[in-house]
Amino acid sequence: MAKTYDCLFKLLLIGDSGVGKTSILFRFSEDAFNISFISTIGIDFKIRTIDLDGKKVKLQIWDTAGQERFRTITTAYYRGSMGIMLVYDVTNEKSFENIKNWIRNIEENASADVEKMILGNKCDLDDKRQVSKERGEQLAIDYQIKFVETSAKDSLNVEYAFYTLARDIKAKMEKKQEASNPPGARSGAHVLRASDQQRKPPSWLSRCSLL
Amino acid sequence: MTNATIQEIEGIDDYWGPAFRSVYEGEGGHEAFVQQLDERIKQHDKEIEKLCNFYYQGFIDSIRELLQVRSHAEELHAEISNVDANVKETTDSLCSRAEELIRARRVELNIAATIEKMELCLPLLTTYSKLKTQVDAKRYYPALKTLEQLEHVLLPRVGPYKWCSQISADIPRLRQAIQDASMADLRDFLENIRKLSPQVGVMALKQTQDMLGRSLENIVKNKKEMMGGLGKDNIGPQCPHELVDFSPLHRCLHIHSVLGAKNDFIQYYRAQRKQQARLVLIPAVGNLHDSIQGMKSYLSAVLGFFILEEHLLTTGAGLVSKDWLLDTWSMSVNKVASTLRTNTSLITDPTLMLSIKHQIMLCYGLPPDPLPPVLQEMAEHYTEVLMQRWVSVFRDILDNAAFLPIEVADQEQYDGVMDTFPYDGDELETQPFPRKFPFSTVVPAVYVQVKEFIYAWLKYSAGLGLGGGRRAAQARHSASLLLSRSFTGCLSALFRRPLPLMQLVQIIVDTQYLEDATSFLYEFISNITGSELVTTQAAGSMFQAARDDAEQQICNNLEKKVDEFLDLENYDWLLVEPTGQASSFVTDMLSYLSGVLTSLEQLPERARVAAVRAATNRIATRLRNLLMDPAVKQISSGALYQLDLDVIQCEQFAAGEPVPGLKEGELLEHFASLRQLLDLITGWDWSSYLHDVGIEGGKYALVTPRDAATLLEKLKEAEQKSSVFSVLKKNERDRRKLLDTVLKQLKQLQNQDG
Ligand SMILES: Nc1nc2c(ncn2[C@@H]2O[C@H](COP(=O)(O)OP(=O)(O)OP(=O)(O)O)[C@@H](O)[C@H]2O)c(=O)[nH]1
Ligand SMILES: [Mg+2]
Repeated sequence: MAKTYDCLFKLLLIGDSGVGKTSILFRFSEDAFNISFISTIGIDFKIRTIDLDGKKVKLQIWDTAGQERFRTITTAYYRGSMGIMLVYDVTNEKSFENIKNWIRNIEENASADVEKMILGNKCDLDDKRQVSKERGEQLAIDYQIKFVETSAKDSLNVEYAFYTLARDIKAKMEKKQEASNPPGARSGAHVLRASDQQRKPPSWLSRCSLL
Repeated sequence: MTNATIQEIEGIDDYWGPAFRSVYEGEGGHEAFVQQLDERIKQHDKEIEKLCNFYYQGFIDSIRELLQVRSHAEELHAEISNVDANVKETTDSLCSRAEELIRARRVELNIAATIEKMELCLPLLTTYSKLKTQVDAKRYYPALKTLEQLEHVLLPRVGPYKWCSQISADIPRLRQAIQDASMADLRDFLENIRKLSPQVGVMALKQTQDMLGRSLENIVKNKKEMMGGLGKDNIGPQCPHELVDFSPLHRCLHIHSVLGAKNDFIQYYRAQRKQQARLVLIPAVGNLHDSIQGMKSYLSAVLGFFILEEHLLTTGAGLVSKDWLLDTWSMSVNKVASTLRTNTSLITDPTLMLSIKHQIMLCYGLPPDPLPPVLQEMAEHYTEVLMQRWVSVFRDILDNAAFLPIEVADQEQYDGVMDTFPYDGDELETQPFPRKFPFSTVVPAVYVQVKEFIYAWLKYSAGLGLGGGRRAAQARHSASLLLSRSFTGCLSALFRRPLPLMQLVQIIVDTQYLEDATSFLYEFISNITGSELVTTQAAGSMFQAARDDAEQQICNNLEKKVDEFLDLENYDWLLVEPTGQASSFVTDMLSYLSGVLTSLEQLPERARVAAVRAATNRIATRLRNLLMDPAVKQISSGALYQLDLDVIQCEQFAAGEPVPGLKEGELLEHFASLRQLLDLITGWDWSSYLHDVGIEGGKYALVTPRDAATLLEKLKEAEQKSSVFSVLKKNERDRRKLLDTVLKQLKQLQNQDG
């Protein structure tokens, strides 16, 4: 029987409240934007299937509440994530400074090999900007994380961000798989796919079965 | 004796008889007597002689004197003739002068008389010329007055001159001319009034609208504007009827009353206006509802008509009588009513309707009871229109609502909320800021709007003469209709788009608070209508439908999430050996669900129970469908064990009573049929299955032979596939044989049933 997808990536959006995490996800999943601010309560997720180099990749993207009071609920989701988007608001200095704290959170709670990306959102609001693009880039270099400025409102770089993160995850996963499964080992005629894989992998890599 | 007789004769004048007798009869006879007579004569002669001797000298003197007088007389005569001639000569000129004088005097008298007469004529003439200029200047009323003066005062005073009679003859002609001219003026006026009456109506409507829109804010604003532009304000008319210059009409009326044709005039005026009314009543535009402008101008025209007539009723000297006005009105009202009925049903401007009603009331004076049907109908329609209006208000509120509990940072904000919505804040009062209300901004906003609605609604019934109690009852009815129908309708519309779970939860909470607040609304109504508070009507389940909707949405929402998780299912149906770990989509799903369910704690228990039931049921159904999916042709027992493991996770979740208020083990029941199926197959318990089949309450009562057969078939397929090249061991062969037998029996059972 045909599976509806080849691969499932779990992504996580974190960042201060109001930076636009939900908006970015809404833009990516529904291609729409809502000006009103409805702060997220707890956690929610959206699923979108994208095509990556001919592979159908399902992205399950978890949107967390930025508010402090939900911190315990949301940190529980770090561990299962394969990629994390750190979002700040270019019109809000504090949200940018907090990125450091968010990164610390990741280091404490997420898998070591989680892919990360920093998004400077609301870049359409140039007149209210408090954080220059250069500072964002510098921060990303400091932490060796990819960086892009986005606008959920103008649909700027949102697709790009998700695709980039997904592609990075896929690359990392293929590398790992190659390492544990040299090519040729999979070529037996009656070798069962599922049994090929390690039973208890140490990381999320096990969760994705490439067909 | 003879002596005596003579004496007797001399003494007696006439009766001489006896004397004669004595003469004849006496002694001596008549000779004696003659003797005596002779003696007597001698005596007398002696006496005469003596007398003549005595007067003779005097006589001579007299003659002498007489002769003297004669010459004197002749002298005097000459002298007198002389004088006479002289006098005659001198008096002749005098006489002619006198005669001249007499003639001059006569002329003078004549002149005076003429002047007097002329002076009498002069006012007549000046008046006549004044009259002419007045007529020329179209000042008909003064002209008529002048005419009257001319006719009754001046003309009789002046004599019967020819020119007077000419003027007299001219008077009726002039009068007629004036009447004609004033009639022409009246026609102009009528034409004018007809043109202006829509504007009058427009202005009246606008003023009514202004009055309606009179809030403190507006009043202050208007005051300011007035301060700024005092000069401007004085120019324009203040009252609608001031748009029309009634003076021609009044003039005509005066003229006609002077002409004694007042009644005719009034009759004529009314007839004309009635005709105009008929014209006005036929809407100029065919379909009034096509454009609100059409409706407005129609009503403005009608209203303008009646405003003007009403104005005339109060000012117009009997030109318009209340009876006539009412009569015209009742003639119009049917027409208007039917026009309105066909057209108002499409009006959506409550202010307009209020103005209409207001005008109708103005026209009616005191409201009759029962209300005119058109007002009644309009009242109903007004309520409808208001509701429609408030639907958009509500929609606006809901569209812009974040559905988050109101959070206030300081006392001022706190008081702001407490002032607009009746909430028992005892508990909240003691908490530190920021304080959080349980309801969202929607609740106070809607509450305030319902009050606004009540105000607006009561505006219509104001002055209709309804008792406070009746008004209050109707207001309560409308208000609860507004909430239970309009607001609920908006909520349903809201539910048509997918809403985040938390918003749905807040909506349910909010409706609860709104429902609780209805008693305060009723109190409010009784306060402003001044009627007794009615507390009997429990609003109870006003929003139950909306809540049900929201609950349904929550369930759908959860089900959708469950579906999304299950779409991530990635079973390897030929799995040889289970991992011993539950599938990640299942563990993710269950932890997500428990997270969501705890965040639903604000929800009424019923709703949470419904939500968890829906989610669990969905999970069970979806998992079972996976097994039964015809696209899945083979299922290895390894895969079956994996699924079993996942189902166990779900069952643990269900057994853990994720929300309070569930019946003991009720969530597990959703998994019962799946559980029995899995148990049957993994336990290979065919003997008891076949034994118990058809028995109520059996261990596998929920497993139909068909399902059992389907799954068994898939198992068989998978086993055949995995053992194509291998030699079957003995127990495997037995198992295969058993499998075939069971399949056969199940088929038989199926056939029996079918
Ligand atoms: N101009 C502009 N506004 C944005 C953009 N992205 C988000 N916003 C606005 O920012 C506000 C907050 O957006 P959300 O996406 O709800 O913020 P969030 O990060 O999910 O906040 P929490 O759920 O509280 O953590 C909303 O009013 C959005 O409309 C953007 O790219 N440009
Ligand atoms: Mg959010």
